[in-house]
Amino acid sequence: MENPNAHIDFLESGPLAPFKKWAAKWSLWPCHFITSCCGVELAHAFACGYDGERLGTLNLGIARQSNFIIIEGTITRKMARALQFVYGQMPDPKFVNVIGACGERGGIFWNSYNITHPSDIVPVDFFVPGCPITPEGLLRGVRALQDKIMGVDKTTIDFKKVELPFEEQLEERMVPTSPKLFAPTPEIKVDIKREVDWDFGKELEDKLKKELIGLYESMTITGVNRIAIKTTPGNLKVVAQKLKEMQFDHVKSVNVIQVPHERKFIVEYMAASYSVEELMPVLVTIFTEIGIKDPKLQSLMSVWESANYSEREMHEFFGVLFEGNDWMGKKFLLAPDTPDLPLRKEFKIPEERYAFEEGVEPEFMVPIEPPKDLYVPIWEEFIEKAYDSDEIIVPIGPHHAGSGHLRVTFRVKGDRIVDAIPEPGFVHRSMEKLAENKLYIQNIPLFERLAINDPANMNLAYVRAIENALSVEVPERAQYLRTIMAELSRIEAFYYDSGIFSLFFGHTTGFMYCMAIREMIIEALMQISGSRSGPSFIVPGGLRRDIPDTVLELIDNMTFALNRRMKKFESIFVYNPVTVARAKGVGVLTKEDAIRCGMVGPFLRASGVNYDVRKIAPYDAYDKVDFEVTTGDDGDCLGRFLGRLAEIKESVKIVKQAVDAVKGIQGPILSDDILGEYKEAASDIKGNFFRVYGNLVLPKGEWTTITEAARGTTLFTLISDGESNVPYRVRVISPCWMNLRGFMEAVKGERYADFWAVYGSFGYFPPEADR
Amino acid sequence: MIDITGLVSTILNNQVNIPLLYVIYEFLLKIPVIGSIVTFLLSIIPLFDVPIIRLLIGFVLWKPMWVLLIIPGFATLGTMLLILPWLERKLVGRMQWRVGPREIAPRTRGSIQLLADSLRFLCQEVIIHKDAHRLYFLQFPFLYFLPVLLPLLFINAGAIDHPLVPIETPYALQIMVGLISLMPVFIMGVGWSSNNRFAFIGTVREAFMYFAYEIPFIIVILAMIVLYGTSNTAEVITVANQGSWLHWGIVLNPLAALTFFIATVMATARLPFEIPEADQELAFGPFIEYSGIAFGLAYVMAYEKMYVLSAIMTMLFLGGGSGPVIPYLGELSYGIWFVIKTLIILLVMVNLRGVYPRYRLDQGLRIGWGAMLILALIALVWSIVIGVVL
Repeated sequence: MENPNAHIDFLESGPLAPFKKWAAKWSLWPCHFITSCCGVELAHAFACGYDGERLGTLNLGIARQSNFIIIEGTITRKMARALQFVYGQMPDPKFVNVIGACGERGGIFWNSYNITHPSDIVPVDFFVPGCPITPEGLLRGVRALQDKIMGVDKTTIDFKKVELPFEEQLEERMVPTSPKLFAPTPEIKVDIKREVDWDFGKELEDKLKKELIGLYESMTITGVNRIAIKTTPGNLKVVAQKLKEMQFDHVKSVNVIQVPHERKFIVEYMAASYSVEELMPVLVTIFTEIGIKDPKLQSLMSVWESANYSEREMHEFFGVLFEGNDWMGKKFLLAPDTPDLPLRKEFKIPEERYAFEEGVEPEFMVPIEPPKDLYVPIWEEFIEKAYDSDEIIVPIGPHHAGSGHLRVTFRVKGDRIVDAIPEPGFVHRSMEKLAENKLYIQNIPLFERLAINDPANMNLAYVRAIENALSVEVPERAQYLRTIMAELSRIEAFYYDSGIFSLFFGHTTGFMYCMAIREMIIEALMQISGSRSGPSFIVPGGLRRDIPDTVLELIDNMTFALNRRMKKFESIFVYNPVTVARAKGVGVLTKEDAIRCGMVGPFLRASGVNYDVRKIAPYDAYDKVDFEVTTGDDGDCLGRFLGRLAEIKESVKIVKQAVDAVKGIQGPILSDDILGEYKEAASDIKGNFFRVYGNLVLPKGEWTTITEAARGTTLFTLISDGESNVPYRVRVISPCWMNLRGFMEAVKGERYADFWAVYGSFGYFPPEADR
Repeated sequence: MIDITGLVSTILNNQVNIPLLYVIYEFLLKIPVIGSIVTFLLSIIPLFDVPIIRLLIGFVLWKPMWVLLIIPGFATLGTMLLILPWLERKLVGRMQWRVGPREIAPRTRGSIQLLADSLRFLCQEVIIHKDAHRLYFLQFPFLYFLPVLLPLLFINAGAIDHPLVPIETPYALQIMVGLISLMPVFIMGVGWSSNNRFAFIGTVREAFMYFAYEIPFIIVILAMIVLYGTSNTAEVITVANQGSWLHWGIVLNPLAALTFFIATVMATARLPFEIPEADQELAFGPFIEYSGIAFGLAYVMAYEKMYVLSAIMTMLFLGGGSGPVIPYLGELSYGIWFVIKTLIILLVMVNLRGVYPRYRLDQGLRIGWGAMLILALIALVWSIVIGVVL
């Protein structure tokens, strides 16, 4: 990397220079290398609406055929390897643009333990800032590169430091910041008893006590629908088996909490039921404490298959050994050069500061050595086994025209997939660790980046956890407005998935139509919050500001336009005989399998389980609007896809009802409980934001909420020590992470080409799964 | 001893008749300076009593050479390769509510986009990775032109009584089928020499698909031979245009036309049968390792094949170059009608990309060995009924 402009110099050499430059300028083909969540906006930039193909940039082919990489944001340590190899595979001359703030110096993830800086790995031509960037920005980056190729120098923008004097009347406002208060030796308890009005819970507790007699140490009701059972490490498996017999058939979350000063780990499993209707909203936490030295535990994989991947993850993060899980000691989410056991409290990441003092150089992450090897988790015995049984090994991704940020290694026999080994973690941005070092309120934008095509639901899921802890009642108007946002976000996510689904079948028209529909919803979200896909609009207690009636009118009108475009999409893609032939009867996940793998959301419902958090434990305005839950019986790709299309129609119905209802409701949009003395902020939090939220401290204990995001149940567990104004531990279980297990199950035994049908039908969005 | 004078007279006696050229020639003579230049050039007579310029022009206008070089030969093929991908991108873009390539030349709707792309490929590094079989890896994209260009020798772009065909032989259709059957062998060679997993899978898929479409394809050609009672392309056009367009192949045997069209789509790996190349599954399958100009050639392979097969389809089913005679153009008008018909078929084929997703391999095979084979057999029986019995 001696001369970063070597490729430009090559174009300018020789007698053919003008032709070479002209051709390179108008034929920048970006390769299919989607590295992070800004890929959503990349899709928009090359879909109708923005149409990057106007500039001659065609998204076709892989490294060998292209001459341009658009790096979309975060490059994790795992992805850095892929990036290096992709860049090496490309023929000269080649160019690199980096989009997104996290591609520059890390952006919101700057102090994460798993990210690198693209500029350390490849020579970068242009950076496009923004989180996420807009398609306009991306295309301007392309134009700037075109100018650079033609010799127009745009290497620097001249920055000048100016001193702006303050006007007399205005007081000087510092950058808003609250000092972070870390309790030195906090008391961590996950089973704090609370008096709640929950009759069924008392019955259930008695029943559980009878069943588990002698096997538990204590049993507490920690809230409505939450029961915590403490047991010993030895009895854990027996308790789990007993619970399974009581129809608690899957695990929603596996969580480990480290308490260093007490030298212990708290390991908890959250079991829930899909089989019995009245048990559906209940989360039973069984937890146990083990010593910090040589932590070992019986794996519950044999009881609950759905705990499998989460146990692997916890093993990697904390070093807890789950005996019986076959992945112990191997890497799953993290790269080989990621720091070991990163979520332990001993491992400290650079602390966040806003304003640097005079003369202090900001201490950024140490530059990371570019990786030297291509790490593919395929072992000798795996290859030998495949070789002996006459199979070939096909690794897919992360640089592949149809893989996304995921690597799956297949063993293919003939045309059938015998085994599929997933390798997630290419977009693991270490949100759980970052959240432990941010104020509660600062985590809102962080968790929104879980899925920037489903922002409002992710936002809502986290905010609801805080509201649950503070027992805040949201005003009625805000409830409806939040419902509108969540449903718009749901439609948006489903159309993204449908677009990817059609793209995986080679049907670019369906993809373009979906992106066109998404544009309208994004426009509505923009009218509400001002941001395309990172609104951060929902705050504890309500919304940031009121939504005017004109915008509500626009949303109402938009639903009609949506219907028209929806019909066009259906006629070209959904009723297409080829689509039906490809998707019907493929990737079947039976009801038993879906429950066993702990599937969530529309993918669970497509297998015949009637489970929707919006119905079983309604939040916001969902109990006041009328909608149906779509379930199917087939459990195949077509069922999953059509199920979501039907849910879109229900969502449109909800939006219409909510818009009608909210017009008649006037009032504050922020709860009095949270505003305290700042009553004037009841309709707009602007100006009082950090005063209200800066020093938010949650009551001691564990606060778990489940929310129905677009792709399924999102679980947030906040553990607070009651003293610090940062969370002690945040556990996020995103829907795609839960669906990965079932996804791999559905692929097995299908044909090689069916992998993409299954992938598309699960709407698997790797940034959401990797967190 | 070659009889050169005889050859020259053969060439000059078998010229394409385009009255427009004489009009242009006479007009040129009237322009003051250019007229005298033309007269001067025509006065250089080094040998054989014929002006050298006249000899050169006469060579190009020599009927077989004209057909091979201009219409529907190399020049048309080259133009097609340059504008067809652009037309595809524009048309599909329009179907998808966008504009396609534009900014490169906004006034002409970006029509020189392919020029930039091909120039860029030309100036790019060609990577031969170390696992590749060097010799064959580089040879095959070039060798591929052989089976593509040779069928052009037998394509008749003329109309009744005006055959425009370079080589007239009673076995023309058979030879063409043989040459077209060679094409997948080259693609397989490309995939094999690439030595890559995806190229391997793509090659195997190509081989499977090859058998699936080839047999219905051959049966359909057989059906048309039976229908016309000849496999000489010059006679085929004469038979097809006997009365009016009512004797065209597509009218007499529409099933054969349909099967031929589907076989063409399969053979050129267009959607919905883009199975061997499957961008999302195999990332261009056999061509995955190609870069630079080698990929440029591999990229246009499918278009070359499309052009040749569409030209054959025009000849067999759409009456070749027959159409209303355009005054002053003489025999050129047949060529123009031929190209227009071919272009229409090409555009229909190209538009499929915007409409259909991709079939799976087994589904493609089932269509090839099932529906298409049955259709082809019915077409054959139909041909026998119409052509022999009636």
